[in-house]
Amino acid sequence: MNEKKDPKQEALEGEIEAAIAGETADLDPSEAEKIREKVRARVLEEVEREKRIRTAAERREEARRRREEKRREKHHEEGEMFERFNRNFRFQHIVMFTSVILLVITGMPIKFPNFVLSRYLVALWGGFNNSTIVHRFGAGMLIYFMVHHLFYTVLSRRGRRDFVLLIPTPKDARDAVQNVRHFMGKNAEKPRFGRFSYIEKFDYWAVYWGCVIMIGSGLFLWFEGIVLKYFPKYVLDVAHEMHSDEAMLATLAIVIWHFYNVHFNPDRFPGTLMWWHGQISEHEMKEEHPLEYEEIMAKRSKQESAEVPNR
Amino acid sequence: MRGKCFAAWIFLALGACAQGLFSPAEARISLEKCTLCHGKPEFRKILVDGQIRDLFATGDSLKGSVHEKKTCVDCHFDVSEIPHRQRPKRVVCTHCHYKGNAEGAPQSDAYLEYFGSVHGTAIAKGNTKAPLCQDCHGDHTIRKAKDLASAVSHVNVAETCGRCHIEIYAQYKTSIHGVALSKGIMDAPSCTGCHGEHKIYGHLNPKSSVYATHVAEQCSTCHASVTIMSKFGIETEQVATYKNSFHGVASGFGSRTVANCASCHGIHDIRPPEDPLSMVNAKNVPATCGKCHPGANPNFAVGKMHVDSHKKESGIIYYTAQFFKYLTIGTMLALIAHIFLDMYGRTRRLRGEK
Repeated sequence: MNEKKDPKQEALEGEIEAAIAGETADLDPSEAEKIREKVRARVLEEVEREKRIRTAAERREEARRRREEKRREKHHEEGEMFERFNRNFRFQHIVMFTSVILLVITGMPIKFPNFVLSRYLVALWGGFNNSTIVHRFGAGMLIYFMVHHLFYTVLSRRGRRDFVLLIPTPKDARDAVQNVRHFMGKNAEKPRFGRFSYIEKFDYWAVYWGCVIMIGSGLFLWFEGIVLKYFPKYVLDVAHEMHSDEAMLATLAIVIWHFYNVHFNPDRFPGTLMWWHGQISEHEMKEEHPLEYEEIMAKRSKQESAEVPNR
Repeated sequence: MRGKCFAAWIFLALGACAQGLFSPAEARISLEKCTLCHGKPEFRKILVDGQIRDLFATGDSLKGSVHEKKTCVDCHFDVSEIPHRQRPKRVVCTHCHYKGNAEGAPQSDAYLEYFGSVHGTAIAKGNTKAPLCQDCHGDHTIRKAKDLASAVSHVNVAETCGRCHIEIYAQYKTSIHGVALSKGIMDAPSCTGCHGEHKIYGHLNPKSSVYATHVAEQCSTCHASVTIMSKFGIETEQVATYKNSFHGVASGFGSRTVANCASCHGIHDIRPPEDPLSMVNAKNVPATCGKCHPGANPNFAVGKMHVDSHKKESGIIYYTAQFFKYLTIGTMLALIAHIFLDMYGRTRRLRGEK
């Protein structure tokens, strides 16, 4: 692109010239010229790559680019990959589901002590006392997740943008109605979703509601001594009831609703790895989030058209 | 003369037959021999530790007891000389009392349970203060346990146990159970009602019926029974509410640190909550809860202790439960309907329908 050669590159080419001249002295000039061209091309390519992967971030980018190329060769129908969830967001999700799994398997035996598995789930930790300690550890993780997410929402640009996009709008209600009509065959068109469909928005706010109720009532039960200093006992009973009932609701929502959407849904079975790599294919993007895809494409063409005059 | 003598012999022989095969004439003679000394009211021995051991026993000693027809040497079978060269050993009841005995004793293996119990093991370890059979059942005056006059009858057993467990007996006697029993309410438990009869274990032994995690079950044998509790106007839901509470669940999973019935209501000194001395009297609740929850204050007593969220009387707790119940049902119905509609749509599209 830059026509004017820099002195470093000139010195490099001189070196290549000298080395080849020494080795190909006894060869035919036309043959020597061919070899020279080949070597020059190879060396320049190497140098170019070295430059590209100079920093760690660049190296990662390079690896990603190469993987992407490979993937595109294999599944060309998927098209380009877009980053749907950034690393921070994926980390939050992992912390959350780890803590929720711990909380469910240590908490549900308390709600259903006579269930067959309960005995084994408690014995898994070596007794009820240990089980309660694991439950509190899980609670600590969930509280950390909540705090982390609040900071993420406030401080990170991506977080702020996603939060705004997650706020329910009248379009979500229309989408829901249209989607049901689509399922029933009353309306052939599938609703066109933006970055977050009404299903994902429901999931997000359900977790919000669940975290507030569970952490709030859980802290009351955890520090019952302090709570009883200021509140009568029935407040603690209410907290206990809320904790127990909301746990049931949250577990059912995860096991039935969330598992269907990300595991048992025929499009995704046996599960999507999006929680791990955060990537979404162009194909899926067009299918599930057409409005976001169009937005990205529009932004891109705008950028490209903006770049042209600079050239 | 000869005829008279013969008649006397026949009479004696008939008398022996009437007494039964296992009570021959010589046994009767031995009773007479024994009472030569033991029949004197002042017949006693001063032991090395200064205690006086009353050795008075007559033919009437066994009267009214289950061993009425036995004689001295049936039990004291190691006595063969008078005066005794060796001090006669303590009577070993298991000589007759085992399953399969031919002596006419009840066919029971109760003594096996005794040997594993806290008393039996103490004896085996050489504790001379630990009780043997006769210490509870009585020596010559053994009666059936059903017989109210028996030392181990429902009304007398507390006093019998109290001969050694004096402080506990005093606590029990003034407790609701002790008072009720002394008023003649036979449903009230005595010591054996909770601790068992022969298989009494220390409360730290997991086999014990009053082990921390077994207490609730033990109390619920009566307190969960509507037929018993309705007589006294006591609610039976306390058992279920405890079992559903955190304390109850943790106890069910084997936690020994959480509260069981006795932790709050007392062990031997259980009193009704209206009693100012009761551990669960509103005034005493902070101290009672404070045993485990340091700094407990009167707030612990505000609100019902045994709460049932399914009952309207629970107030705000009931309404919270109802709110979540309908929230859960509503949400899940909507979500499941959405899932099924989705699958229905997919099937339809797979079939090629529009």
